[in-house]
Amino acid sequence: MIEFHHLGKTWPDGTRALSEVSLQVPRGQFCVVLGPSGAGKSTLLRAVNGLMRPTEGRLMIDGIEFNADTERALRQRVAMIHQHFNLTLRMSVAGNVLAGLLPVVSTGRALLGWFTPEHRAKACALLERVGLDPRHLRRRAGELSGGQQQRVGIARAFMLDPEVVLADEPVASLDPKISRDILTLVREAARERNTTVLCSLHQVDLAREFGDRIVGMRDGRVVFDGTPAEFTDERVQQLYAGAHWDDQPADEDTGTPVTSSLTADGRQPLAA
Amino acid sequence: MLAKPIPVPPQGTQLEWRLDPPYSAKHLLILIAMLAVLLWTGHRTEMDRMVAMSVQAVGKLVGLADDSQVVRGLSRVGSSMWPPAIGEQEDVARLPGLDRERLPPFAYIEVQDRTEQRLNPETLLMEVSAERTETLVKPLGYLWTVTVKMLETLEIALWGTILSVLLSVPLAYFAARNYTPYRATYTLARGTISLLRSAPELIVALFLVLAYGFGPIAGVLALGLHAAGFLGKFYAEDIENADKKPQEALEAIGAGKLKTLWYGVMPQVVPQYIAYTLYILDRNVRMATVIGLVGAGGIGQELKGRFDMFQYDHVATILIAIFIVVFLLDQFSARLRARLM
Repeated sequence: MIEFHHLGKTWPDGTRALSEVSLQVPRGQFCVVLGPSGAGKSTLLRAVNGLMRPTEGRLMIDGIEFNADTERALRQRVAMIHQHFNLTLRMSVAGNVLAGLLPVVSTGRALLGWFTPEHRAKACALLERVGLDPRHLRRRAGELSGGQQQRVGIARAFMLDPEVVLADEPVASLDPKISRDILTLVREAARERNTTVLCSLHQVDLAREFGDRIVGMRDGRVVFDGTPAEFTDERVQQLYAGAHWDDQPADEDTGTPVTSSLTADGRQPLAA
Repeated sequence: MLAKPIPVPPQGTQLEWRLDPPYSAKHLLILIAMLAVLLWTGHRTEMDRMVAMSVQAVGKLVGLADDSQVVRGLSRVGSSMWPPAIGEQEDVARLPGLDRERLPPFAYIEVQDRTEQRLNPETLLMEVSAERTETLVKPLGYLWTVTVKMLETLEIALWGTILSVLLSVPLAYFAARNYTPYRATYTLARGTISLLRSAPELIVALFLVLAYGFGPIAGVLALGLHAAGFLGKFYAEDIENADKKPQEALEAIGAGKLKTLWYGVMPQVVPQYIAYTLYILDRNVRMATVIGLVGAGGIGQELKGRFDMFQYDHVATILIAIFIVVFLLDQFSARLRARLM
C-alpha cells in the first residue's frame, strides 16, 4: 500500500508542482494518473522512489515512511518504467536487464559483469515473458525498435520482483497498437506478482481500458479520483478544459481550475 | 518538467518589428584595433624579416637572387646529412673481448696495411714502418642501434600511456561534477588536472632526470603525468555529458554511484575513451622522441648525442626512423579507431 499524506512540492523558483495530494493506493491496484501536461503526474510518481523530494507531507510504503534512512531499502522495492525507456543504448539487452539487479549484486560482481546463473536465467525468463527472443540477448539495446526497447524496460523493472511499479507515460512515444500491447504486458506481469502499478498516461481511452482506478490531476492537485466507469466524458472535458502551457494557477477556494484567458480566443481544449 | 517558467514580457511592453544590420561602426573599430595589434606583434616576432628571407631563398632557387642565407644554411646541413649512416665501424684494438670466430651477424673484419714514413728520433733518419689496423665493420650496425633505441622509445610511450590511464581514471571520477562525493574533492581533482596539464613534458622531464637520473624512468613519468591531466579532463567531461536517462533509471532503483557509472555511463563513453587513449599513445610516441633530448631515454638521447658530435649522417638516419614510426602509428591508430567506433 502506498500512502500519500498531504504531499506538496514547491520548486526552488516558487512554482507549485504538487499541493495537498492525499491518496491511498492498495496493493495490487493498477492506478492510472491522468491530466494535462504540467499537471504534476510525473512529479507525483517520482516522489514514490525519491527522484523528487517533496517539500511538504509524507509518503509511506507499506507503513514505512520514505526518508533518507529508508530510501535505499525502499527503492529496491519500487521499480520504474520510463517514457524514453532509459536504457543504456550501447549495452546489450541482457546487460540492461541484468542492470535491474544492481542494488542486490555485490560491487565486485557488478563491475566484472559476473552474474550468478540464477540471475542470468531470470533475465532470460523475463525477456521471454515480455515477448523478445534469444536473438535479442546480445544485441545492443539501441538497435531495437521503440516497442522492443520498452519491453526490455519492463523486463528490467520486474527483475527485483518489485512491490510497486511506477510507469511514467510508458507509451507516450509508441503507436496505439504497441501501446496497448505494452500496457497489457505491464498489467499481466503486475497481476502475476500482485504488484501495485502507478501509471501516468495521456490517453483517456487507454486509462479507461487498463486502470482499476483513475486519478485526475490538474495544477498539482487531485481533481478526480474514481473508477473508470465514473470517469465520464464530462469529467474528461473538465479535466482538460483550458489546459495550456501558461496555465493559470487553480482557484485556491474550490480547487477547480480557472479557465485560462487563452481559451477565449477560440482554441480547442486538448481533449475535445 | 521545465525548471524555469518561460519568461513573459511585462504587461504593456511595446514590441516592434525591427531587424538591425549585422555589422556596425563598433565592429569596424574592433577590426582595425585587432589589425594594429597583429602588425605590432608581427614586427616583434620578426615576421617581416621571415617573409623577406623566404622570398630571397625562393629567388635564389629560381636563379633571381645571388645569395640566400637560408639556402646556404640548409644546403650545408643537407650535404652533411646525406647519405644517412647505416653501418658502423669499430677499431678492433678497442674491443678486447671480441671473439673472432663468432662475429655479430653480417659483420666482418677489414684489414688495412699502411706504410708510414716516420722520423726515428735516435738516428734522426726517416724510416718506413708498416702498420696494420683492423676494423670491425658492421654494415647494418647503426640501423640496428637505431631500431633498438626506437623500440625503447615505443616502450617509454606505452608505459607513459598505461601510467596516464591508471592515474586519470580516479582523477576523472572525482573531477566529474555529478559523481564526485564532495565539493572539495571536485576542486582538488580539477586543480590537480590543471596542474598536470600546465606542465609541459619536456620541462617535467628536465626535473625528473635530476631526480631519477638519465634513462627511461624520467621519460615514462614525464609522459604519464602530463597525459594523466589531459585524459582526466576529457574522461571527466564525457562522464558529465553522458546521457542522463539510463543513469536516472539506475539511480531510481538504488543501484549506487559506482555501479550506475559502470552500467549507465561507461558503455556510452567507451568509444570516446578509446579514441582519447589512442591519441595519447600517438602523442606520447612523438613526445618520447623529443624528451630524450634532456636525457630521458630513447631515441632522443641518441639524437642529441649525435647532433652534439656533428654526426649529421647519423642524425639523418634517426630522423627518417622517427618519421617512419610516426607515420605507421598514425595509420594504425586511424584504422583501430575506425573499427572500434
